[in-house]
Amino acid sequence: MSASGQLAQTAPVQASAEMQKVRQAALRRQRLNRGVTYFIAILICLWVLIPIWFIASMALTTPEVVRSYPKGVLPFIPFSFETMRFFLSSQGIIPGTINSIIVAIITLLLSTIIAAPAGYAISRYLFPGRDFYRLSILAVRAFPVVILAIPLAVVFINFGIYDSVYSLALMHTALTLPTTILVIGSVFASIPYELEEAAQVYGCTPLQAFRTVVLPLVAPGIAAAAIFTFVMSWNEVFAASILTVRNRTLPAQVLSTLSQSSEPYQFAGAFFMMIPAMIFIFVIRRYLFNMWGQISK
Amino acid sequence: MKKRRNWAPYLLILPSVIYLAIFFAWPMARAMTLAVWDADAVLRLKAEASAESAGAGTLPRGMQVEILGQQGNIVAPEELTQRNLRTERWFRVEAEGADGQPVSGWAQETRVRVREESESGEPLAGTIRRKLGSDADPLTDVFSEASVASAVAGRLEANTRVEIREQAMLELWYLVRGEADGTPAEGWAQSRYIQVYADDTTGRIDRGNAGELTNRYIQAMVNDRFFWPALWTTFLLMVLIIPVQFVLAMIMALIIQQQLRGNSFFLYVFAIALGVSDLAVGIVWYAIFTQYGYLNSILQGLGLIDAPIAFLTADTRYWIIIAIWLAEVWRATSIVMVVVVSGLQAIPNEVLEAADLFGAGLWKRIRFVILPMLKPSLQVALILRTILALQVFAVVIALSGGDIVTVLANEAYRQYYDLRNVNVAAAYAGLILLLSMVSAVIYLRLVRSNEEAQA
Repeated sequence: MSASGQLAQTAPVQASAEMQKVRQAALRRQRLNRGVTYFIAILICLWVLIPIWFIASMALTTPEVVRSYPKGVLPFIPFSFETMRFFLSSQGIIPGTINSIIVAIITLLLSTIIAAPAGYAISRYLFPGRDFYRLSILAVRAFPVVILAIPLAVVFINFGIYDSVYSLALMHTALTLPTTILVIGSVFASIPYELEEAAQVYGCTPLQAFRTVVLPLVAPGIAAAAIFTFVMSWNEVFAASILTVRNRTLPAQVLSTLSQSSEPYQFAGAFFMMIPAMIFIFVIRRYLFNMWGQISK
Repeated sequence: MKKRRNWAPYLLILPSVIYLAIFFAWPMARAMTLAVWDADAVLRLKAEASAESAGAGTLPRGMQVEILGQQGNIVAPEELTQRNLRTERWFRVEAEGADGQPVSGWAQETRVRVREESESGEPLAGTIRRKLGSDADPLTDVFSEASVASAVAGRLEANTRVEIREQAMLELWYLVRGEADGTPAEGWAQSRYIQVYADDTTGRIDRGNAGELTNRYIQAMVNDRFFWPALWTTFLLMVLIIPVQFVLAMIMALIIQQQLRGNSFFLYVFAIALGVSDLAVGIVWYAIFTQYGYLNSILQGLGLIDAPIAFLTADTRYWIIIAIWLAEVWRATSIVMVVVVSGLQAIPNEVLEAADLFGAGLWKRIRFVILPMLKPSLQVALILRTILALQVFAVVIALSGGDIVTVLANEAYRQYYDLRNVNVAAAYAGLILLLSMVSAVIYLRLVRSNEEAQA
């Protein structure tokens, strides 16, 4: 499509009538293709956005409207924080949110600290066993790690660290670690090693070269990886439901009370859980391909 | 890229290797063990009432046994919290014996009435109890050690005053006899393993102290009434979700590839679902499909129906499946899209332009250029998606309450959480792991054999 566009633009100015016709046909075809592409793109956007629109308009209104039928398709009528307030004041929500944040931050720190050196190693060194290590990490990444919450629960009970946000963070770190290693590896790989070498030629020690040249360049990518780790932990519900009882995280708390709770509670809860994820994905959108593209290489 | 061989890379990957060994490899082995290993299936008997003595056969858990004798044995303080423990207390006493000589030795608490206690409740002194029954030996034995098997150190008359110097906690051991598979076994076992009936001469083995391989957890899983529905629903969802996702993801990726104006907006919208929790997505689609939800509101607003339809009930199971299907397609297509886009970016532009110049239309370009070159990416995405589809969990709970329509991960959760059946839950976990591995191997095989056929 783009190629035919260029062809049309670079056509000689004084062209025969026949050439003119060909050129106009090409332009028409291009415009039509564009139009169809836009149309499909907008359709897909609606498919993604309309459910979010629905849940947002339920969460940001009064509980009476949430219970009413038929529901209006226009959002936020009347606009009110009452449903959200009702949800946030329900038992276990504020502590659950705090627990979720604690777990996600510990997971983010642990995972980044362990993954950063490993990511550096796989992108900077050729060492015997490197391919095996990469393959193993890929295999772990593809495995249903959350299922391992069940045997881990037994282990945690035996060690007396069951039902704690810290042990849940250990589990979440195992869950996010492979992804984080691969992503950080690809972030390092995008910075040419020659930069580091050049810094060393100009008299930096290897550590100085890393700190002054590489670190500033990779910092945004690593931050994006860390944010994605946070989102993964914030969303995770299976392991959280199994490994905690009283110290529930937000999704585990919502899940455990789901069958007894009212619709305003559920809808506001869903919206509340979605907000940070949507913001964070917006922040790191430029890095998404850096993060997931690696996996197919 | 540094090509020098040194130890630095190994040091750098070491933390991650250790971490994954502890929190991935080990739990995986545990999951397998929990599913097939009955940890307290058999009780190993001892020839004498002591942990060091030789073995004297084994009896299975649940077996009825005769109780032939009992004896107390010192037990470590940290083991006193064990369930079912039967204990007896012994005192080291000093007193004047029946023969007038001073006696020092151990006597059971049951033989001594404590008369004086220290402020903290420690017994200091007492008297020997009178034995009941006229034909009983009127004297009480004092033993050289805290065990009836030890030598008698002296004998005391009833009501003798004794000084209590020390006390010890003993666990009872029982001499039991039972028959396992026609071979009788007789030996000693600690009280913690045996439930003694009220008559004190019979009992049953409550739990064993050694494990054995068992298939009863797997049988319990397979015989559970939710097992086959869960398995079929999981497969059905996989078959429904994955093709739609791949087509949709392909379309999304081609749109992103066009670099339209507003590309970054499209990219963000397509990727939003990447960060949305599956529980939230389940609730979102519940809001649409519930009886007084959006779908009914819209249908009624358009005049297509007169009264709201109840979609999510046990009688309309297929609607629940459809809702789960839509929710999963909505949620998990973005990850396929991202993998496909990065695969597309790896295709050289010249190849696509060449195809265009030779007059290949969109469909021909996809069929003969893009798809073959995307194969590695698609393969990875396919494995990833299949394995993720095996873990569908919160969406199902949100839309069906977790029992009208159920899937494997859901059953693992139910067995663990509602039924407190760790072993059966581990069997489900093992099954999911197994299916993941099998599907990964099948994909890799298929792709390799295709490549070999082409070569």
